[in-house]
Amino acid sequence: MPGVILAVDDSASMRQMVRYTLENAGYEVVQVNDGVEALDFAKDKRADLVLTDVNMPNMDGITLCKELRDLPHYKGVPILILTTESAVDTKTRGKQAGATGWMVKPFNPEQLLATIAKVL
Amino acid sequence: MLANTDIQTDAGPSDSTKRLVPENWSPEQETALLLDLCEAQMDAALRDADHSVDKLVSAFTQLVDSSRAIGALAKKMPATGSMEHELLLMHSDAITSQINDAVVAFQFYDKLSQRLGHVRHSLTTLAMFVCDRSRVQQREHWLKLITALRRLYRTAEERAVFDLVAEGATAEEVRASVREREPVENDVEFF
Repeated sequence: MPGVILAVDDSASMRQMVRYTLENAGYEVVQVNDGVEALDFAKDKRADLVLTDVNMPNMDGITLCKELRDLPHYKGVPILILTTESAVDTKTRGKQAGATGWMVKPFNPEQLLATIAKVL
Repeated sequence: MLANTDIQTDAGPSDSTKRLVPENWSPEQETALLLDLCEAQMDAALRDADHSVDKLVSAFTQLVDSSRAIGALAKKMPATGSMEHELLLMHSDAITSQINDAVVAFQFYDKLSQRLGHVRHSLTTLAMFVCDRSRVQQREHWLKLITALRRLYRTAEERAVFDLVAEGATAEEVRASVREREPVENDVEFF
């Protein structure tokens, strides 16, 4: 059941890899560079799932997660963190901010699609 | 790889080298200068690599779009059972699998850039630190510096290298450990 996925990452090459993987599976992908751009999008439009990096300029992924959970129309939207970070304390902060799950880069396309299918 | 700073050379120092060690030199300033030089070299190399990788990613995505179009056409073709049609479908599936492997491989550049960014930050931080005579002589400030640098390391690989050094491993032992390490399969954690 494809839907709209908001993909947030400051790395152009990462965005390309995510776009390829998701579009190939039939999802519509909205790509943005950081948390500020993601929040701008989310204020007016609802995505079916948010896939975000953690370390980004302007607004990091964990702050974005908290901000999205404050928006009524994003309360139940799955938010997956896709990051190089694997430290337990950072994962805990992600969980407390309202993230649905945590994936460590590099992602395997099949694994990413299976994870998305599981939470959608 | 140079492991010894006692480098022998027949020629004397060039004019540009002499400018790097002025008459009023100090060990702290020279250390900071060379750390900054290393940082600048790394930054320049990364910028060159960024440019090439951007081109590579762009070419890759165009190839992906083309192969996807070919795959879609192959699947739309009437199933005649001919060997050519079967081969076309088989090659199309093989390309998809190879693309998935490439998607994983491309992401390592992103991780590399991040890790080298942390090394650059460490070098510039250390360059400033060694010039601060009020702090450089005190153990507590070294502890604070190392704690701050440790916090920079966000990946498991960076933390593993830090921990090896903290346990007393030499640079050669760290290199050997990294060479022997098997790639880790990354799990997904649901909250």
